[in-house]
Parts: sequence; C-alpha cells; structure tokens
Amino acid sequence: MDALLVKLTAVVYLGVAVSYFFHLFRGASASRLPTALLLGGFLIHSIALTSLFLREGFATVAVMGDALLFNSWLMVGIYLLIQLKYPLAVLGAIVAPLAFLMTFAAFAVGGGAGEIPPGLQTFWLPLHVTLAFLGNAMFALAFGVSVIYLLQERHLKHKKLTILMKRFPSLESLDGLNYRLLMWGFPLMTLGILTGSLWAGIHWGDYWSWDPRQISSGLAWLLYGALLHGRITAGLRGKKAALLTMVGFCVVLGYFLWGDSIFPSRHGGRFE
Amino acid sequence: MQKQIVIVGLNHRSAPIEVRESVAFENVYVREALVHLRDYPSIDEGVILSTCNRVEVIAAAGDVRSAFDDINGFLAQQKAQRHAEPLDDHVYTYEGAEAVRHLFRVAASLDSMVIGEPQILGQLKQYYDAAQQAGTVGAVLHRLFHRSFSVAKRVRSETGIGSGAVSVSSIAVDLAKRIFDRFDDKTVMLIGAGKIGDLMARHLQSHGVKNLMVTNRTFERAVSLAEKIHGNPIRFEDFPRYLKMADLVIGCAGAPEILIAAATVEKILRERKQKAMFFIDIGDRRNFDAKINNLDNVYLYNIDDLKSVAEENLQERASEAEKAEGIVLEEAQTFVRWLGSLEQVPTITALRQRFEEIRRREIEKSLGGSLKDLSAEQRAAVQDMTTAMVNKMLHGPISQLRKSSPEELEDPTLYVAALKKLFDLEDK
Repeated sequence: MDALLVKLTAVVYLGVAVSYFFHLFRGASASRLPTALLLGGFLIHSIALTSLFLREGFATVAVMGDALLFNSWLMVGIYLLIQLKYPLAVLGAIVAPLAFLMTFAAFAVGGGAGEIPPGLQTFWLPLHVTLAFLGNAMFALAFGVSVIYLLQERHLKHKKLTILMKRFPSLESLDGLNYRLLMWGFPLMTLGILTGSLWAGIHWGDYWSWDPRQISSGLAWLLYGALLHGRITAGLRGKKAALLTMVGFCVVLGYFLWGDSIFPSRHGGRFE
Repeated sequence: MQKQIVIVGLNHRSAPIEVRESVAFENVYVREALVHLRDYPSIDEGVILSTCNRVEVIAAAGDVRSAFDDINGFLAQQKAQRHAEPLDDHVYTYEGAEAVRHLFRVAASLDSMVIGEPQILGQLKQYYDAAQQAGTVGAVLHRLFHRSFSVAKRVRSETGIGSGAVSVSSIAVDLAKRIFDRFDDKTVMLIGAGKIGDLMARHLQSHGVKNLMVTNRTFERAVSLAEKIHGNPIRFEDFPRYLKMADLVIGCAGAPEILIAAATVEKILRERKQKAMFFIDIGDRRNFDAKINNLDNVYLYNIDDLKSVAEENLQERASEAEKAEGIVLEEAQTFVRWLGSLEQVPTITALRQRFEEIRRREIEKSLGGSLKDLSAEQRAAVQDMTTAMVNKMLHGPISQLRKSSPEELEDPTLYVAALKKLFDLEDK
C-alpha cells in the first residue's frame, strides 16, 4: 500500500516536472495547472508518509528511502508555502524534478540498513531529524533559486535574451529569496547539529565523535555560515553567493546520498 | 438581398506615404465622410479607418460590384481635393470571407508595419465608435467589429506576437526589469542631456523610478532637463562622486571618449557592497568602458546590443505571427458561417415550402382526377409516400447547407445564392 502510494507520488511529481517545463517553454500565459498538480502530488505524498509513520514509527527515518521520502515532503511543502507569496513557476521547474528524483530514489533504495535501537528512540529523534531535514529542504530550495539566478545572470551577461528568460524573476528578487532561504536554513541547520550533538552526548557520552556525518555537516555549516557572514558584512551577493549556495548543497546532498556507503558512520545504520 | 463584407483600402505596403496622406481622413471630418459614404445606394453599412499607415473603407453591401465602384469613387473624390493622379495602382479590395480575414488581421496587428504593435486595435475601436455615432453601423458590421476586437485579444493572449519589446528604450526597461525587482527605490543617473536620454528617463519614470540625477557638460542644459523631468542637476565634474548612488546609469553624452572606466566601477561596487548596477550606453559613441560588463553584478548594454535585441524580438514576433494567422483564419471561418446562417434559415424554410407546395398541388390534381377512386386508406398512403419522397430529396441539400464551409475558407453564401436562383426562392 505504502509502496504503491510512494510510486504514485513519484509519478505525479514527474508529471508536474513535465508540466512546469512545458509551461516555461510553451505556454503563452501563466497557468496554475502545474501548481495544482503539485498540490495533488503533495497530498498523496502526505498520505504515504502518514501511513508509513503510523505503521513503522518515526524511527523509520533512519532508513535511507524513508528519510528521502520525509525530506522531499518537507521540501515540497515549503515550496508550496513560498508559492503563496512568490509565484515562481521557474523554481517549481527545479523543485518538481528534484522531488521526483527523491521520491523515486525512496522506493528504488527501499529498505536497506537503518535500525535505531529502542534505547535511542526518545524525543531527541524527531526533534533532531525534523530540524536537520527542514534545514536541508531550505538549502535544496536555495540551490534551485541559485541555479535560476546563474542562468538568468549568464543570459544577461552574454546578451542572449530568450523567451524563457522572460519567465524568470528578476536577479534582485532571486538573490533576495536566496538570502531569505539561507536566513531560515542556517539556524535550522545549526539547531539540527546542536540537537544531534546533545542527543549523542546524552546517549553515547561524547558530544562530538568526528563521525563522518558530523564532519560533513560541520563543513556545510561553516560554508553556509561564511556565506551568511559575507552577505551581511561584505556584500557577498549575486553570482558568487549563488555558486557558494550550490556548493554547500552539494556537500549536504552528496553526503546524504552516498557518504554512508563510503565512510561508515554512526548514521549509516550502526547506531550502537 | 444577402449582405457581403467589402473592404477597399491602401496601406504602407500598397501605397507610398504621399498617396496615403492624400486620401487620409482628418478626425473632425470623419463623421461627415461617413454620412456621405452611406449616401451611396450600394452601401448598407460603413466604417472608415484612417491611420498613418492605412486608409480603409469597410462596408456591408448587397451588390459587391457596385459597392467597389462606389467606394473607389468615394476615395478618389477624397483624393481629388488634393491630387489628381488615379488611385488604382495603390488600392486593394477584399470581399466576403477574404474581407473578414483582412479586418481580423488588421485588428490583430498582423498587417501592421511593426507586427504586433498594440496601437492599431485602439484606433480601430475609435473609428468604429465614430461610425456608430454617425449611425452608419448595422447588425453586420457591429458583429464583425466586435468579433475583430476579441480576435485581437485572443491572438495577443495565445501567441507571443506582442511580447518582446522592439524599441530601444522599452528594451532597456525590459532588461532593467530582469535585473531589478522594483524601480521606486532605485536611482538613475543620466549623463548627457540629449533627446534619447530624455526619452529613456521618462520611460523609466513611467515604470516607477523616482530618483533621477542629470549631468551635462553644459550645466545649464542639465538644469533645464532636470527641471523638465523632475530630476536633480549635477555638475559634470562632480558626477563621479555621485555615481555610487546610481543603480542605473545612462550614457548619451555624445562625447567621443570613455567617461567611466572599469576600474572606477570596481571601486564604486565595493562602496556599494556589490549592489547591482546597470549601465546603458545609449549614444552613438561609447561613453562606458566595455570591460565594465566583465565585473560581477554589473551589466553593460550599448546601443548596438539593444538594437540586436530588437532585431531578435522582431524575428520572434514574425514566427509567432504564423500561429496568429491560424487563429485569424479559424475565426474568419466562424464569422463567415454566421453571416451565411443569417440567410440559411429563411432559405431552408423557403425551400421546404416550395417543395411542399408542388407536392400538394400535384396530389390534389391526381386525387381529384385519375386517382379519385382510391379508398381513404389508400389516399393517406399516397400522402405519406409523397411527403417522405420530398423529405428524402431535400435531406441532402439541407444538411449540406447547414454545415456549410467546414474546412476551407469557403463562402456558404454561395450555396444560399445558388439555391435561391435554382429554385426561384426570391424573398417575397
């Protein structure tokens, strides 16, 4: 049942991605169809996730596939919220394929390792995971915004003006949105790391064990922190800021997807 | 009599400007001219359209040939007041479905000199209103014009024909909109008090720009322009100091030297905390260092860049125009079908009556003569049989008439006219 719903979600997201692209390249007037479709996909996604958590408990986020399912749900949810204030169809054209890839991976990766010992299953678990994933979702969106920024910037610099560009928001608003996402993402990530560290300290006795996941998120944290600092004090903005945002997200994503299999860590299923 | 749409006119392609001007109608005389036009017995309804690129008479008439002659005479008379040469070589004529299509193309700006320019629709509306006030519009032209307005709207929303600016200053504003989200908190610096800079500044103001600085080598000119456009005049030697406040910098100093170097902009950017800047070098001579464009968060466009964007947008419009032609054709067919249907229903009724009349007359003759011995039952059977025969015979032609002109731009009025003639159905 769950698997079927997850597959259905992935299929709907794929459809949404196609309709966003179609809308961007072809449609002459703005259309609400892709957003409406995305909302439909999000509802199926929500049902799939609820039923998963009801059956397996929240601890199932330790499983890679389920983690992806939860993280993509947060990302789409935040995008839909942003959409209320900033109708950015172009961002949808990045979020929808990303959501498709994540939900597709969710059932392609499937179960895999990841059992959290009952001793660890305290309130720290949902707190740490939700905060960390919310941060990830913000950065995923910031990544999307940065991609659009760079495309728009490139077009303007090279004086190649296409119809597609007309659907892009202005550089100023893209940069502003990127900044706001960073302003939300960074504290969330900080809290995610802090709660994780406290949790580890309480249950394992050491707050920081140089676990590869801790190192990689620490790296990303430093990077995003430097970016935020640069933005506030030195006017680090525009192209450089967009590039740094993308690098930061690659660190987060890269480790999230493949890190555990290359550098065994306590997050990768061995929570002993 | 079946009404047809006829158009006689000349435009920027068919006639040079002197000829167009010689037949153009001045606004104040349009009403008078309309009434005069309607005085021709062949013209049932009429609208005059007169812009700098075209003069056209759109009319509804029963007899197309004499309508053409009359309108030509009408235009020649208009011209005769100014020149004596004949108009024949410069005039085009359309009738029926082609006339409908032509008007729809004009309304949708497919026939304009700059394809997709939006003014023509407003002009068309204005001249239609004038005709309505003069009382020269009837049911047919009323419907035709209102249809043409909605066709124009449809073309605008379903194709990109009006998208992409084609004038230099609107392209510059378009570009600025892709860099900046809003203009009301931006500052513009105008270097040089030339005409094009003035135009550019006004264009930006209409998009919300509030703060404007004007500088010029001759300070008095900067002052007078600043006064006109509500800006702040700045002495030429001072402008580099104010540059860091400007988000948009427009150069049209006409001087043959570089006024702003890339290194200067780099320094300014640091002071501005890298806030984006847009340089527009709009004069014929370059005032801004081309290397400025290589700096992050700075964009530099010169007049040639803007012109090549205009060229691209025009090409884009031309390819969108193909889509628009499809819409126009489809709408013209629908309209022509409606026009035909005005005559269809009475024609079908008349055709049925005709056949029924013949049947009844013949039945009466036979039942009163050679068939007078038939029983009541047999009489009824003969009645039924003949009625069925008539219905079957008429079924084909009538259904053909009803769905007339499905694919091509074929004129259904042809069928109506043919039937009327063949079966002698003249309106009684």
